[in-house]
Amino acid sequence: MTMNTTTPLHHSLCFAIAIFLASLLLGGCDDSGTAKPPANAATSSPAVQPDQSSAEVSQPSTPSAETEPALAKLPDNIEWTTNNDDKIFADPEAKRGGSFSTYIPSFPLTLRLVGPDSNGSFAGLLRDLQMGLVDFHPNTLNPIPALATHWAIAPDQKTVYYQLDPEATWSDGNKITADDYLFTLEFMRSKHIVAPWYNEYYSKQITDVIKYDDYTIAVVSGHAKPRDELIAATAISPKPRHFHQLDENWVQNYNWKKEPTTSAYTIDKIKKGKFITFKRLDNWWAENKKFYKHRFNVDKVRIKVIRDQNIAWTHFLKGELDSFPLVLPHYWHEKAKGELFDKGYIHKVKFYNDLPQPAAGMWLNTARKPLDDINVRQGLAHAININKVIDSVLRGDYERLETHHVGFNDYSNTKIDPREFDVERADYYFNQSGWSNFGSDGIRTKGGQRLAFEVNYGAQHHTDRLVVIKEEAKKAGVELNLKLLDSAASFKQVLEKKHQIAWMAWSGGGLSPRYWEFYHSVNANKPQTNNITNYSDPELDKLIEAYRKELSKEKRVAQAHQLEQMIHDSAVMIPTTKVPYTRSAHWAWLKLPSFYGTKRTTSLTSVFGGGLFWMDTEYKDVVEKAKKEGNPLPSRTIVDDTWRR
Amino acid sequence: MHLHPLTAKKIQRFKSIKRGYWSGVILVLLMVLSCMAELIANSRALVVSYNNKLYFPTYGAFIPGNYFGLDYKYETNYRQLKHIFQQEQSGNWVLMPPIPYNPYESNTIAGQYPPHAPSWSQQHYLGTDAAGRDVAARIIYGFRLSMAFSMLLLIFNYAIGTTIGCLMGYRGGAFDIIFQRIIEIWSSVPTLYVIMIVASIMIPDFWVLIAILVFFEWIGITWYMRTSTYKEKSRTYTLAAKALGASDSRIILHHLLPNSISVLITFIPFSIASGITTLTALDYLGFGLPPPTPSWGELLRQGIGNLSYHWIAGSVVTAMVCILTMVTWVGEAVRESFDPKKFTYYE
Repeated sequence: MTMNTTTPLHHSLCFAIAIFLASLLLGGCDDSGTAKPPANAATSSPAVQPDQSSAEVSQPSTPSAETEPALAKLPDNIEWTTNNDDKIFADPEAKRGGSFSTYIPSFPLTLRLVGPDSNGSFAGLLRDLQMGLVDFHPNTLNPIPALATHWAIAPDQKTVYYQLDPEATWSDGNKITADDYLFTLEFMRSKHIVAPWYNEYYSKQITDVIKYDDYTIAVVSGHAKPRDELIAATAISPKPRHFHQLDENWVQNYNWKKEPTTSAYTIDKIKKGKFITFKRLDNWWAENKKFYKHRFNVDKVRIKVIRDQNIAWTHFLKGELDSFPLVLPHYWHEKAKGELFDKGYIHKVKFYNDLPQPAAGMWLNTARKPLDDINVRQGLAHAININKVIDSVLRGDYERLETHHVGFNDYSNTKIDPREFDVERADYYFNQSGWSNFGSDGIRTKGGQRLAFEVNYGAQHHTDRLVVIKEEAKKAGVELNLKLLDSAASFKQVLEKKHQIAWMAWSGGGLSPRYWEFYHSVNANKPQTNNITNYSDPELDKLIEAYRKELSKEKRVAQAHQLEQMIHDSAVMIPTTKVPYTRSAHWAWLKLPSFYGTKRTTSLTSVFGGGLFWMDTEYKDVVEKAKKEGNPLPSRTIVDDTWRR
Repeated sequence: MHLHPLTAKKIQRFKSIKRGYWSGVILVLLMVLSCMAELIANSRALVVSYNNKLYFPTYGAFIPGNYFGLDYKYETNYRQLKHIFQQEQSGNWVLMPPIPYNPYESNTIAGQYPPHAPSWSQQHYLGTDAAGRDVAARIIYGFRLSMAFSMLLLIFNYAIGTTIGCLMGYRGGAFDIIFQRIIEIWSSVPTLYVIMIVASIMIPDFWVLIAILVFFEWIGITWYMRTSTYKEKSRTYTLAAKALGASDSRIILHHLLPNSISVLITFIPFSIASGITTLTALDYLGFGLPPPTPSWGELLRQGIGNLSYHWIAGSVVTAMVCILTMVTWVGEAVRESFDPKKFTYYE
């Protein structure tokens, strides 16, 4: 009999081990403080109906290498512009050298930038290694030279001419010429890359790339656009023709090939599942260009896979990682404390930025009753207590998001105030639509139906916020049932429009708000589009179409304000929170510029994007010695609100 | 009540093992108490005396605030009401449960951010979790839930497992062989992964979770029941019963099962412990019951994530260790009392 009883214990031991392993596998979760939709929503356009057939109809019209046709002739009287007037945004004090270690929560599935499994968070880092024709100054938002030195806009507001920088080279030493841009079009339109969204984009949005000579090209947009939008849309990246062999095996063959880069870094070593290292090019072509000088100062970058945030934190405290994001309140307030911080070995920074905010909210599916009723939607908006969440769970660190589009400079309609938690107003609106009886549990009823909604969400650490909202909503007689799914599964349900209320955020971006994909009736009641509220309104459609076609910035701004107001009035989205800053901790040997960051800085220690910081190797010895001996160094907690609005 | 002398002896034996006996008594007491958790930890008052009338809001429909002269229509905040009545001194009074919080509400204390440390003045005896919910209340309701869960799991598992195990042992032949193979295949399905997959596409509620677990765990007991029945079947008393013309079901239910019951009983406490750990583990990983269900696993996860708020992990770990130890002690005592040999010599 004694033998028998060991079995259940043994069983639970196995179970515990399995659970431990599973928690290692699943524990890693990227968190930058705001909810992000899974990566494939990050660019916010991909979910817009990819029309596969069009990719095949408009096959590339580019010249092939063998039968080189006569080159097109550049129109006369082109007025080339450039920008060497804006101030530099790097610190001349920066020193080259040293190595920088950071972590990612999971190893990328591929190094390709397009095709299956390529849209993970790591792709964001890799994309920073590929420069575009022009870049935008992070403070003035004016175009600045990148791979092109000059640009000019044709009167049709569709074509942009670019003069390429003749000094620009790939990391493997080959020159970057017009042919590489022609190849971009050929590549992106190819069926072999298995990327319908890119096929579509480079057929409909980028309709042509014209070569005038090896260093002069034009890129043609499918639609006329205002100046900055047009430049942003046409500033494509070249693709190395000499590197890619486009055939049906491309997806498999190029999974782990290191594509030559145009920026200062290139992939050095890869150990699958463990780490990836990058090295700085010794004679990078843009080394001494005005806007690239004093940037990208670190010689070696090591990105380690650490699947659990808590474990990553201990790595950071040991000095194995150089910096750590502290956007999450309990990290900033509770975890980032103690001797290492008090003695000045690790510094903390809170840096306010000013950029498009992720559209974080509760998205009400108007196709599901009773959310088709505007009174219910308005009542619900007044039943959601975001401020209590901010004041309790979020420690007053986050701010209330006012409306869908915030942080777009002139385009933002700053007159809109979000609907506040107000039981009486909620009561008023619910009564208007007949939800005036209460069940024995305090939840409103109408015709035997309870006023209960399912809230679909995919981020486990948001549960804290939602339980507060759920309890508060009861005061208005609304029941919210929380439905936590795995983030990909949750997003899938939302894109299939099977949700009732989706708690999620679209990552912010671009130069101006986008309305078509979120609110045009074309995208309503169809799976796989970004109109997850299924809202449609002929008036709104008309204005959205006008906005999409408008070329004058002034009028577009006015239309954007009107559109934003209409969306607010429709009450299809309950805006939740925004984080108008970035926070991080770094070891004292990591030096930030005197101004810390730029208006558009999302991470002060972005190594490939901003590349403004540097590693003080001599000071590292000082810090390590002081730490060993327990001597204090000047302690610093920086709060910079230069860009606070 | 007349007990079979052997049974009486077993009970006697169980009682004589003090550690197991008292653990059993405490566990039963805790289970009975947890059935009345609403009277122990609740935001609804036990009794309200308003204008010389008594109200008992614990069970039953909600009472809106304006019923007691407050200025809102949603459910009365009884803690606030108590405070107001005390200030008015008009003879009205409120009697709150010992822990005046329900496991779902987040209590915000002005000027502080959750998790709040344990405090007698706030009546958060074990502090609050990261959302400001009372840890003690969540532990009590979590206990009730995990006990109910593991009991139900046990009943279903044993009902299916015993039936099939007995039939395998009694009937033998093709039935036995087919089920042996089925069970072998079944036992190699990784339960945890199946639950993860199910949890990522739908929300497993209480019953779904039990169904999934029963689906995979009924096999555990079959082997023991099969062996035991197999053994008993060839005993002479079974042959005698058969010779007297007893039906199969009578033989199984009246002769075989009572004689193999000791196998079942000694397993029960350990199955309960494993049921509790299973639910806790699943909740810990986020594949268990949907939030905001009060559960130990969820508290444990919060505690591990916020080790600096030691009261969260501390409370739940203590609670788990106590309960599981007591269950194990009970199990040990049961095993001991069913052991026909009173003394065992180990060499």
